[in-house]
Amino acid sequence: MKWLYRIVSVAMAFLFAIPLIWMLVVSIKQEGMKIITVLDWFKPPFSFAVYHEILTGTKLTNWMGNSILVAVIVMVLTVIIAAMAGFALSKIPFRYKTFMFFLVLAGLLIPGEATIIPLYQVAKDMHLLNSYRGIIIPALASPIAVIVLKSFFDGIPNDLLESIQMDGGGIWKIFTRIVLPLTRPALASMAILTFIGSWNNFLWPFLSITNDNLFTLPMGIPTLMSQYSEDYVKPMVVNAIASVPIIVLFVIFEKQIVKGISMSGIKG
Amino acid sequence: MKMKKLRADVLALLFLLPFLIVYCLFTIWPMVKGVQMTFYKWTLIKKMGYIGWDNYRNVIHDKEVWQALWHSAIFVVLSTPTMIVLGILLALIANRKSVLQKFYRSIFFIPSILSVAVASYLGLFVFQPYTGLVNSALHLVHILPENTEIFWLTETGLAWITVTLVTLWWTVGFNFILYLSAMQEIPDEVYEASKLDGANDNQIFWRITIPYLAPITKMITMLQIIASFKVFMQIYIITGGGPLDKTRPIIQLIYQTGFKKNNLGYAATMSYVLFIVLLVLSALQYWINNRKRGDL
Repeated sequence: MKWLYRIVSVAMAFLFAIPLIWMLVVSIKQEGMKIITVLDWFKPPFSFAVYHEILTGTKLTNWMGNSILVAVIVMVLTVIIAAMAGFALSKIPFRYKTFMFFLVLAGLLIPGEATIIPLYQVAKDMHLLNSYRGIIIPALASPIAVIVLKSFFDGIPNDLLESIQMDGGGIWKIFTRIVLPLTRPALASMAILTFIGSWNNFLWPFLSITNDNLFTLPMGIPTLMSQYSEDYVKPMVVNAIASVPIIVLFVIFEKQIVKGISMSGIKG
Repeated sequence: MKMKKLRADVLALLFLLPFLIVYCLFTIWPMVKGVQMTFYKWTLIKKMGYIGWDNYRNVIHDKEVWQALWHSAIFVVLSTPTMIVLGILLALIANRKSVLQKFYRSIFFIPSILSVAVASYLGLFVFQPYTGLVNSALHLVHILPENTEIFWLTETGLAWITVTLVTLWWTVGFNFILYLSAMQEIPDEVYEASKLDGANDNQIFWRITIPYLAPITKMITMLQIIASFKVFMQIYIITGGGPLDKTRPIIQLIYQTGFKKNNLGYAATMSYVLFIVLLVLSALQYWINNRKRGDL
């Protein structure tokens, strides 16, 4: 039983890793070399020449910069906006609170995919097409982030906040000095999930951006791939350049990512 | 917190304002605008004539729409159970104490953070005939005779399997993490007690682990169904919706109708059909999750 378990484990790990290993091995081959069987992998020569070529001769790094820029801005603003809204829903007693909560909750039922066509028209009317503002701003309203953060704020005892209030602390001070620091892990996890979400966002940028200087990575890669037909070396270099930084980020932030997923149940 | 009524109302509004502005402009307003669009012939350039219920009548009789919805449903049926079984299997592997534990956890999740384009192209290359990894490997171990190829991408049934396998590889990491954290919450005493009672590994798995995972399985099932129904990018890159549109999902049809056939009004109508399907699925999710618990 135990050995069966081990074999299955190693086999699964191998299956998950093999496309990535293949990508890296092929990416350091020379162009025009036959790489058909697995045995061909280990035949030299190896070289990083194509990396140099792709990095300097295409817009790939430019697109990656765009993707990172957009994802970072979306991440920061989404968390700020959602935390503010979540705080109001959790800690401020006001009229129409239930109504507001259900309004946010309703947003969970509206899939972005179903409003994508009218969103295009709305963005066009507002002159947001072909601009970063046009990709960033519509992404900022995240009902799931509001709901998750609200539930974390709910866990902070009201007594604590009231005692601060007695001491003359304003509501903004309570929010920034007490509530946000106390929920830092939740905020960090939400930030990382938002980053991954934006990093992978394809449909909306694909529809709203036509200027290839403004492309994000998922839009740019297909346009490059369609130019390469000789062998896999160039495509694999493109894939490798696009994925190695994000894998490094993952290794650094693994703990927060794992925590973020398990607490919010967000499906990517 | 205690504060004066009016002051609280104003403060709450100020805190909610940034969210509400973006939410209303880019979620609620398009929802409403879309209803208007469904009653017009509406091109990328401008609003054309009012056509009443024509878009709706056409959608109902449009075989392409039903076929594309059907394709999205096929993908749901193929991906949901496999995503769950594989998620549990991977979590079992990574939950067991071993020197490789941390490695397992990383390797099962890493594909999930790859850009959708990278994951799809890797999948496309892996399943290429003649030069792809899968056929090469099958040649190497002589399961597949030399000079014969499996055409993973251009035969409808195989194309579905290919797209599903790539999606499994790419996204099962999320389910894996959810199952892993659920498994780690099962108290050790429960396992120890059942071992003392003489239960074997098999019994422990089916009688203890699986029942403990039931709530998370329910949640994952519904999230997975809805996420799978919205499939687009992988299929777009791997099969292009082919062969002969036999794997084209509804999102791709909406995109083509709006932007290639220049008919936003009709595409908007299709997206409301999609919305209704997703709404029904969400309602089902709500109903299933709340059948036993009374709370929200």
